[in-house]
Amino acid sequence: MSSTLKICHLYPDLLNLYGDRGNILCMQQRLKWRGITAEVTEVPAGAKADFKDADLIFIGGGQDFEQEVLLSDLKSGKDQELKAAIQDGKTVLAICGGYQMLGKYYETWDGVRCDFIDAIDFYTVGSKERMIGNFAFQCGDASGGSTVVGFENHSGKTYLGPGVEPLGKILAGGGNNGEDGGEGVRYLNVFGTYSHGPILPKNPEFCDFLLNTALQTRNPGFRLEPLDDGLELAAHDAVLQRVLSKQE
Amino acid sequence: MNLIRTFLAVLACRFSRWIIRLLGRGGTAFPGRVALKIYPQVLGVLSKNVRTILITGTNGKTTTSRMVEQAFIDTKKSYFSNKSGANLISGITAEFCVHSTLLGKPKCEFAVIECDEAASKTVLKYLKPEVIVATNVFRDQLDRYGEITHTLNNIIEGISHSPESLLCLNADCSLIASIPSHVKNPVVFFGLNVPLEPGDSKELSDAPHCIHCKTEYEYSYRTYGHLGGFRCPKCGYSRPTPQYAVTEITAMDVDSSSVNMDLNGRDLFLHINLPAVYNIYNAAGAAAALDAFGFQRAEIAGALASFDCGFGRMEKFDLEGTPGRMMLVKNPAGCNQVMRYLAALPDPSMFVVCLNDNDADGTDISWIWDADFERLGTMDERLEKVLVSGIRAEDMALRLKYAGVPEEKMEIIHDYPQLIDKMCESEHRVFIMPTYTAMLELRGLMQKRLGGKEFWE
Repeated sequence: MSSTLKICHLYPDLLNLYGDRGNILCMQQRLKWRGITAEVTEVPAGAKADFKDADLIFIGGGQDFEQEVLLSDLKSGKDQELKAAIQDGKTVLAICGGYQMLGKYYETWDGVRCDFIDAIDFYTVGSKERMIGNFAFQCGDASGGSTVVGFENHSGKTYLGPGVEPLGKILAGGGNNGEDGGEGVRYLNVFGTYSHGPILPKNPEFCDFLLNTALQTRNPGFRLEPLDDGLELAAHDAVLQRVLSKQE
Repeated sequence: MNLIRTFLAVLACRFSRWIIRLLGRGGTAFPGRVALKIYPQVLGVLSKNVRTILITGTNGKTTTSRMVEQAFIDTKKSYFSNKSGANLISGITAEFCVHSTLLGKPKCEFAVIECDEAASKTVLKYLKPEVIVATNVFRDQLDRYGEITHTLNNIIEGISHSPESLLCLNADCSLIASIPSHVKNPVVFFGLNVPLEPGDSKELSDAPHCIHCKTEYEYSYRTYGHLGGFRCPKCGYSRPTPQYAVTEITAMDVDSSSVNMDLNGRDLFLHINLPAVYNIYNAAGAAAALDAFGFQRAEIAGALASFDCGFGRMEKFDLEGTPGRMMLVKNPAGCNQVMRYLAALPDPSMFVVCLNDNDADGTDISWIWDADFERLGTMDERLEKVLVSGIRAEDMALRLKYAGVPEEKMEIIHDYPQLIDKMCESEHRVFIMPTYTAMLELRGLMQKRLGGKEFWE
């Protein structure tokens, strides 16, 4: 078993809102506690990406101000490389804006359309009201089946194409569109979600499922040893209780 | 007709404030809303003949206001200020109502007003300050304010309503320094000519890309966050040369800093009665505003050497013999500066972090993962213990765990009286870092137990 996991952090300069870098910190620490080194390569706009070399690609959420920079950088060839990496079965965690970017397009509420990389069959439509607040969902069996808590903050409503599976089912909150009960996307080894929070620290089971997925592509059958997740689960349970009790 | 409406608005405001105080509460927002309901333009009428300094921006409003205010106190000027964090249009209106006669005549010659950055766009429709200080724009409560460019635009819109006001702007903040390209006001700049971080610093920047052309800035030096000697390599937008510049930091310790300033062509030595880099910025902004307002150099230096901020801004407490300081934390940039200060402490200390997620704190607490708590993780034996509290105590403890703080040094205590007991028992200095609503609650309980004023006094 190789003792290194290579993480490619795409657009840390543009997509770095809402503590999403906490996901990188979290993966690094949880691997370190098991004697595995996380080797993080940052790929800002303008830099060349070597997706083939990475075990896991992380894409965070961002703000609108820098969106043009991001789109023009994608068009310089990264879009095709990222699509190929996804088809190749690379493990990807994409949050909010990073998640939307993997779909076909984003259409603002007043009808301006912005094309994305079309790696997965879904699209996003802007709406006037925001889905904002703590929320919770239950991952599908193919994604480990754990309960995930986080914070969503988006005005885009995402609709998955026929046959495309969500990452989980909403327990409380809006999720993809506030209508069909789905949250995020699970496609090959891509995990897309609206969950900030950041998502990984408070959801150790989900984090380990993601890391196992990445580690197993090189070492089939490999499983991370369990850790003492007392504090992680206390934070998880505190939010879960709150969002579920607010619903009634 | 307007006189009658003014009369009614002022009367109703004062009456409702009196009732609220009778009930033992300290709110100023409701009385202000009452006045605005009766006469929406009342703020404009009441503030017309009051010479006002208004302070806005994400971080440093309260401290800068207290610094400015001290000069008014020292020189025995007739002034008032909005002390209790009532910095929205309602609170500001209430302050003007209280400091007017029933016929709307001002009782004071001057006012020192801190104004919420988002509220500035409405407040400045009515209030026309002589000087407006804009401290900085950082990411803050994204769930409430949205993106930082949105915050900046609110400030610009506000200023556009008050074209005569002298702007006193932070030259080192690429966002604030862009304001003059949108308005015609007279402008002076303040800033730090002193590098505090190397130009290639990795500290998270809230504004890495040019506000005009979106190219990545280059920095000749950084002070903190995105502040420093920025320059856009494409369009040439760069840090303006400040007329009010800190040229040298001669000392920085646990309780204070000393600096040399170029005060629009004259030298000024300042002893600043509060520690940490961000208070040097606040002092530079206050000095610039006071000079522009006509204060003497000795008066400025005297104010900065003696002011006392209180209200959770590096506020001192005597915890039954143990020295304590409370420092409000509310966003990554401000919190990073607190971390930087703590990491430089020479002696072992106890830390207390209280994280709430009420509306006034921001309901999204993910910002704690953008703040550099890793600095605490590397303090080793100088970090005696961390007590964690607040509605989101578990999230905070988790953040500290991943920042490298050993779990055995942390204790989660939800109960505030018990938390205060633990602080008082500490053999070491105690540094308390609450978010806004946690500060209000904790501070109230601490004052009840340890003695002190109510916050609206």
